[in-house]
Amino acid sequence: MAELSFSNLSKQFDGVAALDSINAQITSGEFVALLGPSGCGKTTLLRLTAGFEHPSAGEIQIGGHTVAGAGQFVPPEDRGVGIVFQSYALWPHKSVYANVAYPLEVRRVPRAERQARVAEALSLTGLSDLAQRMPSQLSGGQRQRVALARCLVFDPRAVLLDEPLANLDLALRASMQEVFSMFHRRTGATMLYVTHDQGEALALADRVAVMAAGRIRQFAAPEVLYREPVDCFVAGFVGDGAVVSARCTGQTDGARLVLNVLGQEVLSRSATPEPSHVSIRPESIAISEDAPLRARVTGCTYLGGQFRLTLDTAGETLVAFARQRARIGETVGIRLQDLWAFRDPGGVITMQRALAHA
Amino acid sequence: MKTPAFAKGGSRSLDRLLPLILLPVALIALGPVVRLLLEGIGFGDGLTSAHLATVLSRPSTGTALLHSLITAGGGTVLSVLIGASFAFLVALTDIRGKGALVFCLMVPMMIPPQITALAWMQMAGPSSTLLKVLGLAPPLGSPQPLHSPGGIILLLGIQHASLVFLTLRAGLRMIPADLVEAARMSGAGSLRVWAQTVLPLSMPSLIAGGAMAFVTALGNFGILAMLGIPAGYATLPTLIYQRLVGMGPSVLPEVAVLSLLIGAVAILGILVSRYVLSRKGFGLVGLSGNPLALSLGRGRGAVEILLWGFIFVILGLPLFALLATSLIPAYGVPLTFASATFDAWKEVLFIQPGTRRAYGNSLMLATSAAAILLVISLPLAWLMERRANRLSRLLDALIDLPYALPGVVLSIACILTFLNLPFTDMTLYGTIWIILLAYLARFFVVMLRPIQASIAQLDPAMEEAAASVGARLSRRLRDIVLPLAAPSAAAGAILVFLTAVNELTVSALLWSSGTETLGVVIYNLEDSGETVMASALAMSIVLLIVMLMGLVQAGAKRFPKGVIPWQS
Repeated sequence: MAELSFSNLSKQFDGVAALDSINAQITSGEFVALLGPSGCGKTTLLRLTAGFEHPSAGEIQIGGHTVAGAGQFVPPEDRGVGIVFQSYALWPHKSVYANVAYPLEVRRVPRAERQARVAEALSLTGLSDLAQRMPSQLSGGQRQRVALARCLVFDPRAVLLDEPLANLDLALRASMQEVFSMFHRRTGATMLYVTHDQGEALALADRVAVMAAGRIRQFAAPEVLYREPVDCFVAGFVGDGAVVSARCTGQTDGARLVLNVLGQEVLSRSATPEPSHVSIRPESIAISEDAPLRARVTGCTYLGGQFRLTLDTAGETLVAFARQRARIGETVGIRLQDLWAFRDPGGVITMQRALAHA
Repeated sequence: MKTPAFAKGGSRSLDRLLPLILLPVALIALGPVVRLLLEGIGFGDGLTSAHLATVLSRPSTGTALLHSLITAGGGTVLSVLIGASFAFLVALTDIRGKGALVFCLMVPMMIPPQITALAWMQMAGPSSTLLKVLGLAPPLGSPQPLHSPGGIILLLGIQHASLVFLTLRAGLRMIPADLVEAARMSGAGSLRVWAQTVLPLSMPSLIAGGAMAFVTALGNFGILAMLGIPAGYATLPTLIYQRLVGMGPSVLPEVAVLSLLIGAVAILGILVSRYVLSRKGFGLVGLSGNPLALSLGRGRGAVEILLWGFIFVILGLPLFALLATSLIPAYGVPLTFASATFDAWKEVLFIQPGTRRAYGNSLMLATSAAAILLVISLPLAWLMERRANRLSRLLDALIDLPYALPGVVLSIACILTFLNLPFTDMTLYGTIWIILLAYLARFFVVMLRPIQASIAQLDPAMEEAAASVGARLSRRLRDIVLPLAAPSAAAGAILVFLTAVNELTVSALLWSSGTETLGVVIYNLEDSGETVMASALAMSIVLLIVMLMGLVQAGAKRFPKGVIPWQS
């Protein structure tokens, strides 16, 4: 296992910036997800790490050694990095066994050891019975597991996964997520996981790098992203809820700020003394008849156990959970509590622009 | 944790070495053509347009050019009529047995033109064995009706109809089904839809197919030589052939100008076809599908009989005539059960040293050309698809030239280039190597395009996956690219073999005693009156071709789209 490090990494395709000055450290054995809308540069970052692309500027280090940048370039075959492709990229002319054995053949691992390691990799991914099948005879989930086995058989220093679940149906995705988690626990491999599905990223990763327009907006643990987004884009892209502009009143209450949100004075957590927006998660909205802030119900869907309401108030759309069904058009009272505020002037516009590409 | 061992330099050497194959390929494929161009402006004697002026002002040049244009133009009209009828009927209606029909329509394209001409000559004229059997032969002394411009046009038209058919059918498949459905919803009947929607939309393909047929007909040598020379009807290719064969290399500067002339006409045709194809499509959007599945209703049987009858006339009858002639003991003897004999077959296949040598030469040349091109094309195709640079793109654009140009043009170009090897006193002229080099140049695209198509369809992730698990370029090419491109490469090799084994146009100008090829020997046998032996040899070649075509057809499912020329 090895740590990955990117410093000032940039990549342009025909003069168009795909990655803009990326700085990030991923520690050995960490499971990191790269999350963002399509075109945000997350796959480019993955391909640069694998060695399929040359950086335009900056440096990549794997295990403390520079593999790209500063006049050096280590080709993919010498990086010892495994990759699982979105298309699986199984070699159609080789059986499952031969696919998994190939990395060891290339490394001239002796036959006996090779057989043992392939058998181990196949059993770890539950493929032992399918060893002699050809890829065309496998289902999507099975192909995915072959790709994973082929990657883990040679003990890579890091494993890169490029939207590995994008081609699978919903039920299979959930079970494959468990396979990835199990795989990570068992091998302790450093993993870099590219996805545009925030559910996957938040469920699997130790830390998530949220990317937009070639930059990392926030790189933090899932719960931090959810509770303490740094800007409008992260707040809107990760989790449910709304982003609403806020006005400072200058007052504080202990560690918390008193802000004017939707005409109400509310207490907010914040990392900055002069925030411009608040993130309102569904949990932050309590519905009570006597609350001063009134909202009109514009939508109501049952989620199992509770209802998800979309509410319209003062031209903003909020999301709340409710125990009881609400009639559309009905007016309810809402109270805001435990909000998170951040400073991102003009942020809503950039968020919309970034999401428009998604 | 493992100690990282990042290799530096050295290991990537193949990456640097591979692009070097572009150079010899460019030299062999394009060198001769460039050399020919230089000759036209007086290479060696200083810049001069004297040759150009002398040759072009000769009346014989004008006559030959006119004849070439008349025969190629007439043949094109006929090709368009035949090819378009078949394409519309096969692509748009519910006739049965389409696969077999298309295969049979393609056979004339794969049979070398001199054999087509020979076969048709056995079907007409006073000495036709078949007509004698049927008692329909015209009286002795009456002329061979095919020895005329009309005969040439007829055979050129049939030979190249499949080019129009293939281009048009591919175009028809691009027409979105909903355009047709929209026309029907507006109340148009089948015939009106065809005339007002399908026909205008397929016009670009029709024109492009016609241009291809024209260029190919212009360069056709077998038919023009077999039918035109006896009739004294000179065209540019036969004029070049007769001058060079009659006077030897001393007339090279003169025939170079003639071949530049025919090359210029051909390139004009290619440019027209490219221009039309590039503007092809009125921006067709929508799912392509079967644009029309016209039900012919009760007329279906009649149409099928008509089509198969036509196939019988253009393919079956001539081959029967050829077979009949090959089975008689001597030319002019009527064929009966008593007189039928395999003597001529035995003679050409086992006894005559000339024909046996020709078989050996042609098989050797075709095999070597296929093998060499296979070995070069695989890395070259990979390079062009995965590591394209300015040089490889230029080569990609120009490598069609030696194949698209008329064969005589390439032959003259090769003679010019290899007559005196640069920096030595050696010459390749008169050796078998000059034929091999010409074949390599001419058939490069035939091998390259199928492999290119299959590598282009290959997910780059296949190779990236191999790289990420530690396989270097040479291993990736061997373990991943080669096996996956192998079916197409095999198809390409068989196509090269098929085309090369029958080649006449190039070898007619390049052969000398001892290096004759099958195409040359058939032509020479017929020329010296040994029609029966020529027929037997031709018939044996037709059998070989149909067998090889069948072999490719049998593997059709394993090839990517567009690899087999008679399927699309």
